[in-house]
Parts: sequence; C-alpha cells; structure tokens
Amino acid sequence: MTIGFLLLFVFRLIIKVRLHEKQFAKVIERKEAMEYIIETNNLTKQYGKQLSVDSLSIHVPKGKIYGLLGRNGAGKTTAMRMLLNLVRPTNGAILLFGKDYLENQKITYSKIGSIIESAGFYENLTGYENLQILSLLRGRHSKDMVNHALEIVGLEKETSKTFANYSLGMKQRLGIAAAIMHKPELLVLDEPINGLDPIGIHEIREFLLKLCKDEGVTIFISSHVLDEIEQLADIIGVMHEGRLIEEVDMTKLLERNRQYVEFEVSNLSFATRLLEEQFKISDYITHNDKTIRIFDCLEKRGDINRCFIEKSLVVTKVNISSEKLEDYFSSLIGGGGIG
Amino acid sequence: MGNLIYCELLKLKRSKMLLISFLGALVTPVMIIIDGVRTHFAHPEVVLKLSTLFDNCQFYTMILFGLIVYTVISAYLFNREYTEKTLKSILPVPVSKTSFIASKFCILWIWIIVLTVITWASAFALSIIFNAVFGLVEFSFGLALKWLAKMLIGSFLLFLTISPFVFIAMRTKGVVVPVIASAVIVMGNAFLSNEPLGALFPWTSTSLLISGKIANTGYPYWLVIGLIILVSALGFITSFVYFGKEDIK
Repeated sequence: MTIGFLLLFVFRLIIKVRLHEKQFAKVIERKEAMEYIIETNNLTKQYGKQLSVDSLSIHVPKGKIYGLLGRNGAGKTTAMRMLLNLVRPTNGAILLFGKDYLENQKITYSKIGSIIESAGFYENLTGYENLQILSLLRGRHSKDMVNHALEIVGLEKETSKTFANYSLGMKQRLGIAAAIMHKPELLVLDEPINGLDPIGIHEIREFLLKLCKDEGVTIFISSHVLDEIEQLADIIGVMHEGRLIEEVDMTKLLERNRQYVEFEVSNLSFATRLLEEQFKISDYITHNDKTIRIFDCLEKRGDINRCFIEKSLVVTKVNISSEKLEDYFSSLIGGGGIG
Repeated sequence: MGNLIYCELLKLKRSKMLLISFLGALVTPVMIIIDGVRTHFAHPEVVLKLSTLFDNCQFYTMILFGLIVYTVISAYLFNREYTEKTLKSILPVPVSKTSFIASKFCILWIWIIVLTVITWASAFALSIIFNAVFGLVEFSFGLALKWLAKMLIGSFLLFLTISPFVFIAMRTKGVVVPVIASAVIVMGNAFLSNEPLGALFPWTSTSLLISGKIANTGYPYWLVIGLIILVSALGFITSFVYFGKEDIK
C-alpha cells in the first residue's frame, strides 16, 4: 500500500517536472523569438526644464528595420545619441544586444555603425583618410575594407578630394560608408538620406533593405519623411514631443490604414456572393449585418453599385475611406504634417 | 593610446595650422636677431654672447609668443572636433573620452616640442650668420645644445600652464575666448616679468625658473613650483572632468 502511494507520488513528481520543463522551454522559445537588439525602458533626457525625451520605451527586434518617425524636434536624435552613449540619459535604461549599454562597451559598440544627422569628418582629409582613422581606432584597419566601403557608396574615384570639397550628398555617402565599413550587426541611422538626390536615396534604400534581408543586420533608422520610412521599415515608432506615442508593426499598420469602399446593403450574404462571383473579389470584410468593406478593385465601385441595384439589393450607403497613412500619422501627432 | 596618437597625427595632414605654427615658431628667433643687429649698430661697445641671444629667445617665447601660439594650437586641436562635428563619429567607435583627451594633450605636447626645436634650430642658424657677420662671444655648438635642453624644459613647463586654456577652449567651443584669456595673461607677464611678484604668477615664474632668477625674487622654490603644479592640475582635471561629463550635441 505504502509502496503504491510512493510510486504514485514519484510518478506525479515526474509529470510535474516534465510539465515545468515544457513551460520553461516555451518561455525560452518566446524570448528567442522576441530577441531585441535595442530595448529602452523609460528613457528620459531633460535639459534644464525642457524634456527632450520622455519615458521612451522602444523595442527593436533582431534582423528588422525599425523606423523612428517624428517631426523635427520630436526627440529622435537625442534618443539616438543616448543609444550611442553620446548623451547621458537623465533616467531610464538602455539594453543593447540584451545587455546594459555601459557594460562591455568595447564589444557592444564595435558591433554598431551609426550616422547622427549630417556626417562629421575631418575637412582637410580625403574620404579614404577619414575612414582610415575610424578603422585604425577600431583596431582593425585594412585598405580593402576602406576601399570596399567607398565602392559601395560610389566614392571610390574621389581619391584626392578632401571632405571640405565634397557635396552634401557625397558627405552623406561617406557617412554611410563609415557606418557600414566594419560590417556591423546594428545600424543606427539618424536621417541618413538627408542631402541625397532621388537616385542616391533609391540606391541607399535598396542597399539597406539588402543588408537587412541578406545579412540580417538590424537597422534603427529615423526620419521625418513618412514615405521613406514606409518603404523601409518593418516596425514603426512614432515620437512626438519626446514621447513614443505609437509602436506598431508595418504590415498591421498598412492593413489598418488600407483604403476601402464601404457599402451598406439590405442582404449581406447575397452581396458578398455577388462580389465573389461577378467581380472575383475576395479581399473584403463584413461589419455588423449590413456593411461590407472592399479593399480590392476600388475603381470598380460604380459597377459594383450598379450590379447590387440591378440584383434588387437596397444600397443605403456608399462610402470611400479617405484616411491614408499620412493622415493617420498627422492625426496621431496632431499636426498638419510629419515634417 | 598609440593608435589614438597616430590618428591625431593623421588628422594634421594638409592642416594649415601646422604651417602657421611653424611660422609662429620663427618669430622669436628673427626678432632677437633683428634686436642683436640693432644693438650692434646702436651700441658697438656691447659684446653679444650666444647665451644672451638664446636667453632672450627663451624669455620672449615663454612670456609672449609661445603662450599665444600654443593657446591657438590647443584651441584648434580640441575645438576642431566640435566645429567639424567629428565627436559623434569617433566616440561611438568606441573611444574612451579619457583616452581621447589624453591623446590630444600628448599631441599638443609633441607639437610644442617640435616648435621648440624649430625655434632653437632657427635661432642657432641665425646666430651662425650673425657670428659670421658681426661676431659672437662664446659661440659653440655645445652651448647651443645646453640651451636646447633648457628650452625643452621650458616648453614642458609652458605645456603644463597651457592646460587651463584647453579647458576654456572646450568650454567656450571657440578660439576667441582662450586667445583673449592668453592675451590677458601675456599682459600680466609683461607687467610682472621684472617684478618679484612674477614668481607667484605661474606663467611668468616658468620663465624665471629656466633663467635661474627665482632666487632673486625672494620667494621659495616650493611655493613657485607648487603654484605651477596647482594651475596645471586645475587645467588638466577640469578638462578631463568637463569632457567626460559633457553631452555631445
């Protein structure tokens, strides 16, 4: 009898331990899936009475492009400066690669490439010499590495021109070359396309997307140009007056802000059948018992309306959504535009 | 640190400040030779010695030109990182702020040594010509070498007392304020260089120390040296602490 109870107890104990192991594995799995390269918690910077960054808590997952959007003076640059240890936070915590940013700075920051606003280089030196200084300071200088970085940004032929004689676009390109030269795992880019011409912007955008996709580089990029961020980012953070007012996945955001035509009809199931059969439209959602939102073939809304009426459906309302992504952000930050 | 100093040297490539400072280093030797020629014609009975030429050269460098030229150099070295906005590229490499400032001070010292050698060499070259044309007493290369050693010690003392101007340059992020401050000090030097009180003014006392005139002032050596150390320590400490705590904008 006693042995029986003992066996039962051991059996239950084994089951409990195995359950616990499974739960623990799930937690680890979840943590791995949500590995953040940058994580801030209540990050705050105050200059006198002015609160430049207010309780900023951002999460930049590994291998993603995180776009920080906000008007000029929203606090984006100050936040980035704090990440790069150029500005000391008044309060809050910064984790880079899962560790406190002040811990093992040599290792942590050697994995980061950055541009903060306009590129800052020595005016009496050429592009090559400026990059040479940075690579020497990193302790791993090689001519090939510098030349390759210059080639990527198209400055390889400007061998004798000093930085003082560079155009604004060339200066920004050199900044990008400096940021990517040492093959970083994280890029912190503050308004990197400033001063670039449309072709340059396109090239850099494609290059950043390639870096992220092919080499898994995490990119934290800020801009006040919504269009640019929209084309690059996987996740968007919106800053306004020092605060993060939105952090959202781009796909969800696009879904939420897709344009649609809304019909209010007397028979919803019949209307959806007509859509699928007559117009081959499957991208729609239904609301309550009367409303249907169509996201596809918006230009056919006149034909759809005629079809509904011909098939004896009572159409009480036709409405086209006017909110675009830009309007959405404008409404978020309460201004007429982002920039 | 070696890499940092090497990078500081690289940063000076094509720098106009190098040429300007070299020209600045020539001012004193040219001036004392012109003064020697003037003395030769105005007072032919006066016998000029090589050591007198070097003593004058040392005095004017430490009291007047050296202070201003070295202040301009230090303001250039430390401020260019702000004006050319390079700190935001350099510091996240990462480079420690302490090492960065230390390398700047090292390069400033090296630069001052180079300028001192240029001053000495040009003074000696001009004195050779002077000796050939007008004649100099006690003219020898050995004596000139002894003066080189003295001038190098003087330049080190000057380097120490320049440090407060480095702090002023970093704090004001410009050249104007430190140059005005050094001009004020130069005026103080001009006023105190022949006064016993000069021993208590670190920028004057360095020159008095090198020329062996401290004993004449009546003040003890420990007080004079203590004041020099105090001023330089103040300059170094404030520079390091200020830069260490400063937010890079």
